Amino acid sequence: MTDAIDTKALIAHAKNIRRTIVEMIYRAKCSHIGCSLSAADILTALYFGVLRLDPLNPNDPNRDRLIMSKGHGVAALYATLAERGFFARDELDLYGTDGTRLANHVVRNALPGMETSNGSGGHGLSLGIGMAIAVRNAGNGARVFVVSGDGELEEGSVWEALLFGSHHQLANVTMVVDQNGMQSEGSTETIVDIEPLADKFHAFGWDVAVINGHDFTQLIPAMRVSGSRPRVVIAKTTKGKGVSYMENKWQWHNGSPNDEQYKIAMEELL
Amino acid sequence: MRFEVVKAIYQAGLEDKRVCFISGDYGHANTEEFKRDFPGRYFNAGMSEQNIIGMAAGLALSGMKVFVYSIVPFITLRCLEQIKIDVCHHNVDVTIIGGGGGFAYANAGVTHYAIEDIAVLRALPNMKIISPSNPTEARLLMQAVIKAGGPAYVRIGRGKEPDFELEYKPEIGKAGIVRSGDDITLIASGAIVAEAIRVRDMFKEQGISVEVANMHTIKPLDGDFIRARAGTRRAIFTLEEHNIIGGLGGAVAEVLAELPQRPLFKRFGVPDRWPDVVGSQQYLRDAVGIGAREVAEKIRDFLR
Repeated sequence: MTDAIDTKALIAHAKNIRRTIVEMIYRAKCSHIGCSLSAADILTALYFGVLRLDPLNPNDPNRDRLIMSKGHGVAALYATLAERGFFARDELDLYGTDGTRLANHVVRNALPGMETSNGSGGHGLSLGIGMAIAVRNAGNGARVFVVSGDGELEEGSVWEALLFGSHHQLANVTMVVDQNGMQSEGSTETIVDIEPLADKFHAFGWDVAVINGHDFTQLIPAMRVSGSRPRVVIAKTTKGKGVSYMENKWQWHNGSPNDEQYKIAMEELL
Repeated sequence: MRFEVVKAIYQAGLEDKRVCFISGDYGHANTEEFKRDFPGRYFNAGMSEQNIIGMAAGLALSGMKVFVYSIVPFITLRCLEQIKIDVCHHNVDVTIIGGGGGFAYANAGVTHYAIEDIAVLRALPNMKIISPSNPTEARLLMQAVIKAGGPAYVRIGRGKEPDFELEYKPEIGKAGIVRSGDDITLIASGAIVAEAIRVRDMFKEQGISVEVANMHTIKPLDGDFIRARAGTRRAIFTLEEHNIIGGLGGAVAEVLAELPQRPLFKRFGVPDRWPDVVGSQQYLRDAVGIGAREVAEKIRDFLR
């Protein structure tokens, strides 16, 4: 990826991705829309500004890896991979139909570019750590990115992986936390508070950056950094970002818009 | 068995640079060689089984061949979902070595018993389940598992199992005939095969010919063997150091139940309740009714 950040182009990609997300979920009448919209800019930044990969050679051993640990945000991943050219966008027309391979959570190889199966929280970082050891041993310079939800950080396995990652100085791993502050039944703060998050990651020996997860001029530099320690980018995001009536409403964690709501959403995402 | 298994993995490490070994702070002196000779491919990941399995899958997804090693209950049940999704769904080359099958950690108490692992892991697609009976067989089966690749679970003992002569070359997915006989067949799996041999010897004195079969591969199960014996034996028995629910006996019963005609059949395993005493492995086997003497008595009653 080149160093210049073309914000205008990134905003256009992110808009297309959000439109695809809303369309898919509206048509299929399922499923996790708010947490897909919150992750849209993170994935746009990664796939168009950070990851070194070739959509036409998705199994290249030297590729950077992206693990979508927050598997319920799969619509954002489908839409981003299509936008990046891993497959034709009309592949996504099958989403929500009987017999499709396109589940509501991430399934490895359901479409090109889908590295792992995720949907149960807290699996992604350990998978990423394993990949990071392998590519470090291979010496090919590849990096591993794990996109995690914030509610998911309630899973203990994440903290096992954090311990291991810093002990072995796996500097080629970056975990990006899509911190939209909400989980299935309400705000993370009221369910099981995970703050102070940056302090916790620091204490576990990881470098930490806290940024606005909807600002490409912050996202891309923060995720391009490759230091001497593993790294967490806490991306502060808005659940439902881009659709006014969904923003910051935990009720839109999971659900699909009705006809009227769909119309409004698509007008707002023009 | 653990020394033979770790030695086989070390040998694989010499021949194949993809071989990685992750210990859950288990292994003591017998993993030192691997650690010394293959830096970057050995990790003691501490007590973090969920992370270990996830990492192993991540390594395997990146082309490595991974062996993980810890005590059975910790490396099977605590991280079961990681085994299900990260290893079995991804269908990657990860082999889980579980030490202390059955009551091998006899005095350690229920936290360390491994009597439900097979039932649970048997329900996972892509998983192979291997349960060697003695050190020689552990070595040969481990070599076969290394060749075949994971996902696999190898359930071994603690390191004190007696060796005994094998009259067959162990092959994954094929029952081995440990001792031949033609009246009844006693199918066992794991270290308790030694107990099955004792049962056979007790019957020999009474003129009843007992075949002892070693079902060292519980998945994929050798259904052909079971069907063949169903047609020729007066009775079939199973003996396992595992809960009576869902293990070897259950697996054999599933095959027999679907046959139009079958011989008498009875399972011997650990009753579905927690042992409330501890003792030696032999003591516990006897206490829960899977020691040779009690099994022989029950078989005799059953045949009467």
